[in-house]
Amino acid sequence: MAESRRTFLKQSAATVAVVSLPSCAPAGAESPDALAPATLRAVGEAVLPEELGADGRERAVAAFELWSEGLEPVAEMPHPYLVPVTVYTGPDPRPGWAAQLSGLDIESGKRFGASFAEVGVPERRRILEPHVRRAGPDFGRPGNAAHIAVALAAHFFASPIATDLCYGRAIAKQQCRGLAGAGDEPAPLPGAAS
Amino acid sequence: MSQVIESDVCIIGGGISAAMVAERLAEHTEASITVVEAGGRTASLEERTATRARMLAYGENPYPNDHIPGQTGTGEMYQSMVLGGAAMHWGGAVPRYSPEDFRVRSLYGVGYDWPITFDDLEPYYQEAEERMGVAGEQGPPEYDPRSRPYPMPPLPLSWNLERMREWTDAAGIPFWTQPWARNTEPWQGRNVCQRCDTCAVCPTGAKYTPDFAFDRLLAAARIRLYDRTLIRSLNLASGSDRIETAAGFHQDAPDQPVEFRARTFVLAAGHSWSSHLLLLSANSRFPNGLANSTDNVGRYMTGHWFASGFIELPMRLYPGIFPNNSLLSHRFASPGPLDRYLRHDIRLWESTVGREARLAADDGRVLWGDEVMADWRARTRSTATARIRSYYDVIPTPESRLTLDPGMRNAHGDPMPRIDYVAGQATLDLEPHTHETLLGRFDELARAAGGRMMSTRASRLFEHPGGGCRMGDDPATSVVDRWGRTHDHENLFVVGAPTIVSSGCANGTLTFCALSLMAAEEIAKS
Repeated sequence: MAESRRTFLKQSAATVAVVSLPSCAPAGAESPDALAPATLRAVGEAVLPEELGADGRERAVAAFELWSEGLEPVAEMPHPYLVPVTVYTGPDPRPGWAAQLSGLDIESGKRFGASFAEVGVPERRRILEPHVRRAGPDFGRPGNAAHIAVALAAHFFASPIATDLCYGRAIAKQQCRGLAGAGDEPAPLPGAAS
Repeated sequence: MSQVIESDVCIIGGGISAAMVAERLAEHTEASITVVEAGGRTASLEERTATRARMLAYGENPYPNDHIPGQTGTGEMYQSMVLGGAAMHWGGAVPRYSPEDFRVRSLYGVGYDWPITFDDLEPYYQEAEERMGVAGEQGPPEYDPRSRPYPMPPLPLSWNLERMREWTDAAGIPFWTQPWARNTEPWQGRNVCQRCDTCAVCPTGAKYTPDFAFDRLLAAARIRLYDRTLIRSLNLASGSDRIETAAGFHQDAPDQPVEFRARTFVLAAGHSWSSHLLLLSANSRFPNGLANSTDNVGRYMTGHWFASGFIELPMRLYPGIFPNNSLLSHRFASPGPLDRYLRHDIRLWESTVGREARLAADDGRVLWGDEVMADWRARTRSTATARIRSYYDVIPTPESRLTLDPGMRNAHGDPMPRIDYVAGQATLDLEPHTHETLLGRFDELARAAGGRMMSTRASRLFEHPGGGCRMGDDPATSVVDRWGRTHDHENLFVVGAPTIVSSGCANGTLTFCALSLMAAEEIAKS
């Protein structure tokens, strides 16, 4: 039975969450400053593809929240090839992101007389644009993102589901899918234009 | 008072060369074997699923704490110091050197001939492939000579690589699948590759890592392993040039010396730490370091350089199907007579470069939501990117050296290694011709597909490094003989990367392993 596009999106979004999630939060990590859920979702409506639908965007935002909770600041990174140094990820971006969400609300109130979540998507994008413009044109790693809007978008667009949606094919990168079928053209996603 | 540990054979180093020697000696002799590794253990196979997930999600090192703070040098060397060595992180590419690599002076009038030929090493290549479990495709025999088939069938070409091979066939250059130390069939109790796309950390055990061999040997009680134990010196027997002890300490008890005594010592500490320990072990009889009566230890440090690029292809590919397999050609590693010396390989991968999602369009306009997806689709619908790279032979020179750096010491006051890689005049003189030829070949390949070069780059990083204890028949110009036995000390062997004469134009690990197995055969006789 052919799965529906919506089912595919649902399953794939779940996969994003599984792949993105750590097996457990690092011991001793402090609780990050909470990311205001309503404002974060409003950011998601501005930066994530509309074609995901409300359910798909919600799953993408939820996957980001879970990922964010597991983030360990200043974690050891893989050693650069033939460079005898130990390199680390950056400091905790979450307090800054939380403050940015709060700032979006304040700015929205001043500019439009309503919270960020209450204004329309065009207004939200006007507020976000200078922040996104400064970060681009590449997404970079979400943990390195200077703004929460870029972090959220980078997290989604780096995911296997985003790649599959772009190509309209079930590529399933990084999914441990066995050697069988490697030589086949990936199957079209149901309902997707190839 | 020192803790004393005695064995027939003491192997210093716990990387892939050490694993090869230990395994062969364990199977072919009754010798008691001690393996001493400065680093500890890192993520076990069972833990790699979790560390892989964090690597993917957060970019974290999947082998946490795989190094010793303060025990590091300067120059191009690995930071990792752990049981399994750099071969914990490796991707598993295991091409052989070409027959020409061993005879470049005789054939082309450049560089140095090895004291052995490809045919001398060929049985050990095969043995190393079988010990690791190598999946490979037989290339054209004139460019890929071998006496027996690969242990396992090759990794399948992805749909992307199949399309790319159609292109390279049309260009008239033979390409075949890179051989990999990754299972396509169950091998020595290890799983088959599951195409997880994260070969640096394989969560299934399909990729060979040396810890598997050590664990087997430990389970069979064929070796004793002393990890987290740093050897600081090799010491001579009184009135003799034989090595009597290796002295060091356990990281948890730095004030309590540990002394290893053995009939035979095998230095298997990789391309930087092997020469380092010999130099560090200087004494009144060998004031310039052990095995260094002719001042060759630390010299002829080598590796290969590369040119690379990205090619835009007028075809649709699906990056991500199997990004860790690649196409390989050794056509130009065995070029026949040459007016000007250049030997190189070519390898090709699928790539996402220039074709990833982005935040802004070419005109700088910020993209939102569906616009990001539309822009991404437009750039992937009918064009794709291939990554191309050629390693080429760098001619070793004695001025390319590892020395002790008195300005950089570890917590115990020992000077750390410093590697100053130097390209000899012969290599520099050839460089313009090399780059012009390579970039011309890249461009020719691109045009054969109706594509174009997007970008090119030349690297002077000495990749897949080795040297420092090169092998040779003449003690005046080498440190060890063809078997890895030091000319100065009858019971001291150096194995693997340090002993190579040149780096050729292929990844070195399989050759390091084959040389180690060849040495192990000689060690077994003693």
